[in-house]
Order: sequence, then C-alpha cells, then structure tokens
Amino acid sequence: MIVSWKWLQQYIDLGGLTEAEVAQRLSLSGLNHESTEPLAGDWAIDLEVTSNRPDCLAHLGVAREISVLFQRPLRRPDPQPQASGPDISSLAQVQIDCPELCPRYTARLIRGVKIGPSPAWLQELLANASGNPAEFKSINNVADITNFVMKECGQPLHAFDFDTLQGGRIIVRTARDGEVLEAIDHKTYPLQAGMCVIADSQRPVALAGIMGGATTEISQKTVNVLIEAADFAPGSVRQTSRRLKLASDSSYRFERTVDHAGIDWASRRCCQLILELCGGQLCAGVIDVGSQTAAPAPIRFRLDQIARLLGIEVHATDVERILQALGNQVEPHSTSDSTRVWQVTPPTWRRDLSREVDLIEEVARIHGYDQIPEDHAVPMAVSTTPRVDLTAQRLRHVLTAAGMSEALSPSLVPAVISDLYSPWTEQPALTTLQPMLGVLDTKFWNTAGPVDHVRRSLIPSLLELRRLNEFRHTQPVELFEIAKVYLPGNPFPVEPTLLGVCSGRSLLEVKSVLAAAWSAIQPGLRLEVEEANDPFFAPGRALRYHLHGEAFGLLGQISQVTQKKLKLKQAAVVGEFHLAALVAALQVVPQAQRQSLYPAIERDFNFIVDLSVRWSALEAVVRAAGGPWLETVQYRETYIDSQRDGADKKRVLLTLTLRSLDETLTGKQADAVAQSVIQQCGAQLHAKLVQ
Amino acid sequence: MALAEFVQQLDQLVVEADQAFSAATGQEALEAARIEFLGAKAGRLKAVQKQLATVPVADKPAAGKRLNEVKAAIEAAFETATARLENTSDEVRDETFDPTLPGPAWSLGKVHPITQTILLLKDIMGRLGFTPVEGPEIEDSWHNFDALNVPAIHPARDPLDNFYLAHAQWWGAQSGDQGHGSADMLRSQTSTVQIRTMQQQPPPLRIISLGRVYRPDTADETHYPMFHQMEGLMVDRGVTMADLKTVLRLFATAYLGNSVPVRFRPSFFPFTEPSVEVDYYWNGRWVEFGGAGMVDPNVFQAVGYDPDEVTGFAFGLGVERLCMIRHGIRDIRDLYTNDVRFLAQF
Repeated sequence: MIVSWKWLQQYIDLGGLTEAEVAQRLSLSGLNHESTEPLAGDWAIDLEVTSNRPDCLAHLGVAREISVLFQRPLRRPDPQPQASGPDISSLAQVQIDCPELCPRYTARLIRGVKIGPSPAWLQELLANASGNPAEFKSINNVADITNFVMKECGQPLHAFDFDTLQGGRIIVRTARDGEVLEAIDHKTYPLQAGMCVIADSQRPVALAGIMGGATTEISQKTVNVLIEAADFAPGSVRQTSRRLKLASDSSYRFERTVDHAGIDWASRRCCQLILELCGGQLCAGVIDVGSQTAAPAPIRFRLDQIARLLGIEVHATDVERILQALGNQVEPHSTSDSTRVWQVTPPTWRRDLSREVDLIEEVARIHGYDQIPEDHAVPMAVSTTPRVDLTAQRLRHVLTAAGMSEALSPSLVPAVISDLYSPWTEQPALTTLQPMLGVLDTKFWNTAGPVDHVRRSLIPSLLELRRLNEFRHTQPVELFEIAKVYLPGNPFPVEPTLLGVCSGRSLLEVKSVLAAAWSAIQPGLRLEVEEANDPFFAPGRALRYHLHGEAFGLLGQISQVTQKKLKLKQAAVVGEFHLAALVAALQVVPQAQRQSLYPAIERDFNFIVDLSVRWSALEAVVRAAGGPWLETVQYRETYIDSQRDGADKKRVLLTLTLRSLDETLTGKQADAVAQSVIQQCGAQLHAKLVQ
Repeated sequence: MALAEFVQQLDQLVVEADQAFSAATGQEALEAARIEFLGAKAGRLKAVQKQLATVPVADKPAAGKRLNEVKAAIEAAFETATARLENTSDEVRDETFDPTLPGPAWSLGKVHPITQTILLLKDIMGRLGFTPVEGPEIEDSWHNFDALNVPAIHPARDPLDNFYLAHAQWWGAQSGDQGHGSADMLRSQTSTVQIRTMQQQPPPLRIISLGRVYRPDTADETHYPMFHQMEGLMVDRGVTMADLKTVLRLFATAYLGNSVPVRFRPSFFPFTEPSVEVDYYWNGRWVEFGGAGMVDPNVFQAVGYDPDEVTGFAFGLGVERLCMIRHGIRDIRDLYTNDVRFLAQF
C-alpha cells in the first residue's frame, strides 16, 4: 500500500512530524515500511499490509494508526450528498441471484453528470499514491473519484454508464459457460460457470469485484452514472482473479474483506465528490439489497491476561486509551469485577478482532514491543539428542572420512527418474498436482515430463546427481544422502528415512566402507549379506542386506541398461539402507572389552573349493569351527589354476588369528584348531587343503 | 719398574684410549677399540696392570690407586663413546627420494552445508533445552492448516500455492472428513510437527522441529520449491513474550557469537497471536530472522490443551537463508544441484 504524505493530511495533522519518524513508528506497530520516494511536495510511503489488516489498504486506515500512535485526532469526512432527483427505485433495479457470492449490493444514481478531466489536486493525490507517478494517467473525473474513494476508505466502487445498462437493471449472478466479457483493459475474458458477474438484463457487464466491462464504462458521452458499492465473497473473487489471471486494486481488497458498515459511507462519499466535481443530480434514496452483516460481538476482556501473555504490566488507563483510539467501545463488564474485566466491542472495520487475545495484540503493538524485556529468567531445562540424530551423525562421520560427500536432492522427480528403480514398493509413486519448476536439468531431460513424482527411492536421485557431475567433469563423484522416501500407504504413506550411497569405486570397496559405518553404529555389528538377483543391477553384482532377519538394504553395481539410460561413463555402485534398523541397533555408549595380554598365533590355509562356494559360506564354517580362541578370519586372495585343480575350482587363501584371554597358546593347541577347521571345511564345503 | 714409569704408561693409555673411542664412527670400531684397551685377556690396560707386580713395594699403594683411577677414566670414556654412537645414525640418504612430492590422493567428504547449519541450530537450541522432534512430510490438510488456525478460505490453502497430492490413485476415493487423517499434501511448514507433538504429549514442552517443507515457487536464485525450516515451541504455565524474546536473544548470541539486540515487529500468522517478525541488530543494521509469536488459543484447543491453563510461544525460520548468509552462497539452487566441487568447499 502506497500512501501519499499529503493525502494523509486530509485526515490528520502531521505538523511537527517527519515522514521518516512516522514510517518508523508504523513499521514497529504493524505496517512494515518498505520504502519512501520523495515527490514534488510529497512523499510516497510504501507500507506492507498483512492480510489481516485490510483497513490499512486505505489512507483513512493508515491515518487512524498514526492518530493512535501519536495521539492526534482523526478527521473522518461525513459525506451527506443532497438528493434532488426522483427516487432511484423508479429508475433502476438490482437483484442478487447468488447471495453466497455477493452478500450485499448498493446502488446510487446521479443524472446529468458532466464527464471531464479531474481537478489537479485529485490527479496529484492519485498519481502520488499510484506507485509510479510519472506513468500515472488520469481516466476521467468520475472514474478517478471511485479510485480516490477506494484508496481513501478501502471500499472498491464501480461507476457504470447507466444508459448502457440494458433494462436499467443490475443482476448479480454466476456466469454461464461460453459467456465472455471485454473488460475495461480491453481484453476479452472467457467466463466460466461459477464466476460471479454483474449483468444487466442481457449480458455480463462487469467481473464482480475485479473489473468493469468496456461496454458500460464511463465515457465522454456518459450522462447518467450508477455507483456500485457492494460486498463480494473473498474466496470467489480470489478464485476468479486467479483463473483469469486478472488482479486489480479492487480484487486485492475484496480478497481481504471490506468493512461492511463502510459500504454506504463509501457510496455517499463518492456521490458527494461527483456532485462537487462533476455536477449532476443525485436521485433520492439508495438501492440496498442483500443482507446487513451483524454488528461485531462484544469481547470479554480480562486485564490480567495482558501480563500473562506479554510478560509485562500495561496500565489500565493506557489499555483503555489504546483500545478506544483504535475504534473499540470499552465498557465495564456487567457481571464481572469491572475494574479487571471489560466488555470491548471492536469496530466494524476490524474483523480481525474477535477474541481477547486479539485485543492483547493490539495493546502490545501500540504500547510497543520494545517494552518487553529480553533478559527474562527462563527456567532451565535439559534436552536430549534423539537416537536417529546420533545414528545419522555417526554415519556422516564414517562416510565423509571415506571421502564421500553428503548430497541433498529434491523429493520430487519426473516419472522417467522415478521409474528407474523402486526397491521398496511396487505401488506407483504418489504424484502432486503442481510440479516442481526449475529443479531439473532440462538440457539432458528435454523430453522428461513434469517433476511431480514423490520419490520412492534415493537411488535414482543419486544417479541423476552422478550424471550431472560427470557431465560437468567433476571428480571424484562420491555421494551419500540421508533422506526420506515416500511409499504409498493407506491412509498415510510410509516415510522411511534411508541412507543412500552412490560411488565410482568397486562394489567391494563400497561394501567395506559401509561395513566401517555399521561398526560405528555398534562395534562388531554383523549383517546378513546375500547375493541378490535384481535386474536393475549387473548380473551377479548385487547384494541384499538383512539385520536380525529384517530387510535392511541393498547394494550393487548398476546394469549396463541403466548406465546407458543415464549416459553414465562408468558403472556406478549404488545402495540404500533403512536408518530405522540402525537406530535400533545403535549402541550409544560403547563398552570396553577385556583385551588379551598373550601373543597371537596365526595359521594360513589354502583351500581348493568349487567356484560356486561363496566366501560368506566359507567364513561361516571357519568361524563355527574356530572355537573360543578365534580372533579374526582374514580373507587373503583367490587364485584360479584350472590346469592343476580342474575347471570349476578355485583356491582361497585365508588366515586365522588365534589368541587366548588367559594363557599363551601352544603350537599344539593351534594345530588342533587348524585340524578342526580343515575337517569342517572338508565335510561341509568339500574344501581340500593344498598340501 | 719405577713408579714414575708405571704412571707414565697409565697416563699414556688414558690419552690413547680416549682418542680411539672418540675416533670410532660405528659400533664395530668401538667394539674393536674396547677389546684393544679394556679386553679382559689381552687388553692393553690388562697388560699394564700385570706390570704392577714389578713396582717397588713401597710405591705399590700409589701405583694401585693410580691404576684404579685410570681404569675408571677409560671405562667412562667408553661409556661416553657408546652413548654418542647410540644417538648417531649411519643411515644413508636416498637421493632418489623427493619429500616434496604429493602423497597418494586422500580426499575427505563433506557434510552438506544445510546439514551443517541444521546441526548448529540443533546444538544451540539443545543448550537452551529444546529437543528435536520429527514428523511426516506428507500431511493431511488438517494438520497443515486447520489445526494451525488457517481457515478453509485462507489464500495460503490455494492449490497453486501448495503441493497437493493427485488423489484417487490406488486406494480409491477419499473419505469425506475434510482432510483429517488422509494424506493429501506435502507439508508447507514444519509447524505440523508441533501439532502432532502436542497431540501426543501433555505440556510442558520445549521442542524444535527441523526438516523439509514444500511450496511451488519456481526455482531461481532466491527460491526453491523445497526448503528447510526450523520451528521452536515452548509451552508451559506462565510462558510469556518475555521468555520468547529472551530465548531468541540467547539464540542470536550463540549463533552470531556476540550479544545482539532483538527487535519485534508486529506481523500476522494464523497460528500465533500476537504475531511478530523478529530482527537482529547485526553489523550495523537490522537483519530479518524469522517469525514468532504466542501460540494462538485456537491451536491449543485443536490439540486439546487448555489455553487458560498454559501459554506458549512458537518461532520459525528458514534454514537456507541462514546457511546462505553464513557461507556466502549466492544461488539457492547450488544447494540442491550437488556439484561435488560446491560440496567440497564446506
């Protein structure tokens, strides 16, 4: 809202005040000061008006705030235009067919008006409050007056050339599909059923509350003027304005509601100014159809609630002065202790005031928030760090130490990325009505649809980040992300938090980095890992992880098909894991274990086994056979010599470390363990020891 | 042998042994010198010692005393030489080695700057007694709007300003209970978590919720359709705006590292009354921090708290803005492009 300093002085004496001082006070009491432009003999002050304060979308409203803040009287005009024509009801008719969209409509008629330019003072004030005085164009005296009154009191008005209204009728109704309207901006708008229009007996002549039509606008030929002052439903105005992409000063105000009791005042004020500046004869009476809004209900106001909420006492006389100056009626409450409980009736232009707490806010903002101390003794309290945060932090420590950086990527992806992979659900991804705009690299994804799929896996997002980084020649691209995915469910989707990884290293390298991460969650945490058959991954290059029998995650090297889809230069290794399992396994405070003080003995084994025998199986047998002294089982290498060992065979070299907590082990004891390992591997896996 | 001659031999021996020990540049040379002078069978000291018998009887005490002194001196010289050699290296310089070469590449990953900011915020708020809580990102509009006192006709609910879900996908038609209990949107604010927490826990409460929120702004330098918010909530008997102002000042002091004044400007949010914008005075000007206010009684009623029993404050701020100011990031989109060169900076 841009207010003219000069205009304000029509309603309040600003003598002795600077525009900067006033703007500062307004800023700290609710009208945020955006800027001040110096004009010839005036200042244009731009104030931000929050949506609950439509009364300040007007010079009178801003002047009222100033009058309260600086304790100066407010001069509100009292328009009493003299009627000298016949009764309006004999000349014009108004009917409302859609009272839910237009609760009230008033009309006055002035005949014999002389259309011409506005007087200089009116043009100057309108220009100065227009936001762009250099470009401002006065329309004509009548149209300028309707705009002036709107910016004076906040009530939008419309002036029709009465003689162009077919049948002398105003019908407020919903539009019919197929109807069109050429508005005064000379653009033609297709109307849709449900939009509220002002029509005459034939056709729509205005978009209710938004803009008038070209065929009925005031022109140089206009003689008789019908002044509309009405109330339109905020939701309806907003919806129509949005649909037609047509916003106006009028729609802006109706969307935020107008002062019901001010409708007639605005109509009279407009007529008074037309009679003064354009001549003519006002018809007697007013057409006022629809319902009168109930007067604001009184509020029971307990004065002790001020300190309870604000933490400071405000003297009762100050409270009373502030509330009254803002237009509230303050009376003692009839059934309560009248010194401590009042009955406060807010003014009609303050529909945001309906509760005790609303009045407390009024007291606070006028009394001044600077009165509230910032060194109050707040009671102490302890906080706790949630296990999920501790878990995520430990993962971050390990993964960043391993050279991986944390990424954060959008939760919405286009279908083509969403469809790359969905390991946790077969349900289609949830989609949003609005897409995310400007988040996708459209140079690559030039045929991708809207970014409206709520992601079910982090892996496609991470692969897209890898692609983008490869494209930019950044090296190395080692990324992880800890974020939610959204799996459709009824009534609510399930939103597990996952750890996703995407790496250019080998599958086993990534696996070993992750193993270090699991150990940071719980020392020695053992996961069940098995080969997985998953066509998303290269054949035989995929693993599925379980923790205590529950599906925990997966890891693998992407297939060539996926690699080609994303034009990746290199086969990436990707994986994702459920954080909840780690949160459950998290050992917050690791416990010390007794360490042996005796020397260790190592024994190497070189087994010949079938190619199909997996290390995980071999390790399991060795561990089971190793007995209580087994400290570690280390994989050394695999060697294939099909000439000596035959096809389908491989040699696996491994080292056992044995150590006792209580004694120095002898060679004999170690040999006994070795024998047991050899025997069990032979029995269970047909492993032969190389002699 | 005359005493004088005996003593002269001993003195000569001391000088020679000392020279031999000092000249030894390695363990082997020193050992050879030790055997030459101190050898138990054929050492030169032993040889001189044998001649003690030929010294006149009257001179023997003096000669014996002198012999012991010389023995001690030679042994001391040997110890000195041994110690000297233990601290001397005979390693050879490898001329092919260049210590100024770079080592094998060792790169550390980085935690995302948004996460770093969030961790800092959690840390500071934790010191002030606020515990983090989490909630779903896909919400029903009751939690996102109604419970937060945003009426059905409020512009904030406009379909163009929110990510509503395209419905009736696989679970069929929606129940008609006006958005309660049926997921229908990506949350537009983290205040939803306050509602869920208050529904589950009785007062007192001191919580923060941090996380992703979604609004359909087209991405540009300063906007992104997904961003992060931090919301704080404190509810108890007797919580006032003085508590709010104090907590925010303490927060600013911890975040900015200096004691900074806090300023409230009136504002409007449906879920707080009174509502204020919060500014900090920093580097000679007022900087916008976020929104705050006293929890609206309608919100308390929606979650089953009695507004005549308890009061509370809430505040909220955008994490991206803090993060961008903190690290000098000029384009918000950089945060979500995840160029590894960008990430490596933090």
